[in-house]
Amino acid sequence: MTNDRGSSFVFRPLGEADMANSVKKYGFVIDPKRCIDCRACLVACRAENNVPLGSTRIWVYDQGVQGTFPDLSQQFVPYNCMHCDEPPCVEVCPSQATYKRPEDGVVVIDQQACIGCGLCLPACPYHARFLNPDTGKADKCNACLQRVEQGEAPACVATCVGGARLFGDLNDPNSDVSIALRSAQSAQRLPAVGIDTGPNIIYINDDVDEKKLAVTAPQIPAADAFYKWIVIPGVLAAAGAAFLGQAAAFARQLRKGESEFDE
Amino acid sequence: MSTEVLTLAERKRLRAKKIKKHGLANIVTHWFNAVSWFVLLLTGLGILGNPDLRIMPQGYVDFMRNLFGGIGGLVESHKIFGMIWLLVITYNVLLGFRRYFVPFARKRMLLTPDDIEWLKKYGQKLVGKKVTLPPQDAYNAGQKLYGYVVILGTVTIGLTGLIMTFSTLFPPEMRWIVQWARPFHFGAAGLVVAGLIIHVYMAAFFPEEKSAFFSMIHGEVDALYARLHHKKWYDEKVAEERDYEMRVRLEEIEAKEKEAEGING
Repeated sequence: MTNDRGSSFVFRPLGEADMANSVKKYGFVIDPKRCIDCRACLVACRAENNVPLGSTRIWVYDQGVQGTFPDLSQQFVPYNCMHCDEPPCVEVCPSQATYKRPEDGVVVIDQQACIGCGLCLPACPYHARFLNPDTGKADKCNACLQRVEQGEAPACVATCVGGARLFGDLNDPNSDVSIALRSAQSAQRLPAVGIDTGPNIIYINDDVDEKKLAVTAPQIPAADAFYKWIVIPGVLAAAGAAFLGQAAAFARQLRKGESEFDE
Repeated sequence: MSTEVLTLAERKRLRAKKIKKHGLANIVTHWFNAVSWFVLLLTGLGILGNPDLRIMPQGYVDFMRNLFGGIGGLVESHKIFGMIWLLVITYNVLLGFRRYFVPFARKRMLLTPDDIEWLKKYGQKLVGKKVTLPPQDAYNAGQKLYGYVVILGTVTIGLTGLIMTFSTLFPPEMRWIVQWARPFHFGAAGLVVAGLIIHVYMAAFFPEEKSAFFSMIHGEVDALYARLHHKKWYDEKVAEERDYEMRVRLEEIEAKEKEAEGING
């Protein structure tokens, strides 16, 4: 069984039915109209997660001045890992170092298991991953799990002066994000090009033009296709033939029985 | 296998006679390699948990990960076992390069016209035809070819493994090397394992090769096996024995002559 990307990954869909089992679905709700591009969230994230200078786990996209005078507007779009329902980065990871936590849907990286191949970087349609120059391994937003598990909001959310960023359990009708979604004038996800990975950042009260956010289709390097479609079938065919060959020879040997002159 | 008819007495005499085939260095290296391959194969297959790349069932993958305290522990252990294996194998090859490796490569690994003939005939034998196989060296052509697969596989696996172990030393724009190392690491291991299935069957179960299996424990094969399966090597060994015998006799004669001279003079 394969999904529509040709991968055999089957993600456990998180829906409202999971509420009964207290399965969470963490996500962000972001109101671009409240963002003033102060980038305090970038600083807070860097301090909280020890992100090296020159790298960042989160971004604010400046859409530039829109419209004609005197009808001008400017939009700032805070942005980070979308913790997708069906993350393509998880699908390409050979060692499953990056995975979607079954209990709350946060996409995390096991740094010890990461072999540093970098396949997940182009696989992410939102370019939310980077190679950490200190560790040499893949890095990304982990929704500040170390804070969330203590009952606090992620650093970017806690520090946001305008209240543009909200974080919480999308499955819980009483969470901050659910309340904000209910009272929002509009709600918008940013699907990747050609594919909907179920991103869990929801932009409210404003239209975001995803074409200006450099959202792409997931890129799978040729090495992966070579591995999947040539090397694995080849190895399985060779090993299978060898196994069948020796099984046939063994069967013939048993049928023949042993004699004193078998040398 | 030679088809010449041997009398029962001759068979018994040859079977009781032992010829040394493997030195202690060979035997130790072989079994170290075997244990390493076993451990690396088990841990490596546990790492491949991605459903698109997985070979073993999910239950096996979960078991290996739990055994090593999670996927991180499994990956780290695989790297450490791999580096120990590579270090010891490289050390053994370098240490024994002149004494073992060069003579081995020169005398036992080169393909001869007889080997090509053997490969053709053996193919016909597999289909069921009755054929007479040409005489073989210490290793037959099949063993020699598998030897090349193992040597090339070991080099490929070692290099790609080192690339992946030290992947973080590559700058971001060079990570494609790490991405390409994965299929070659897996492919090389897979081809060696395909041959390994035959190798293990031949050694452990195939009645004609029983002597070869025990030679990897005490280093000796019986002369009957050597004569039937490795005629050229057997003849070499017999010639060596004859040379030794001649030398000893010559020395005896010389000693006697000297003694006689002593009495006369």
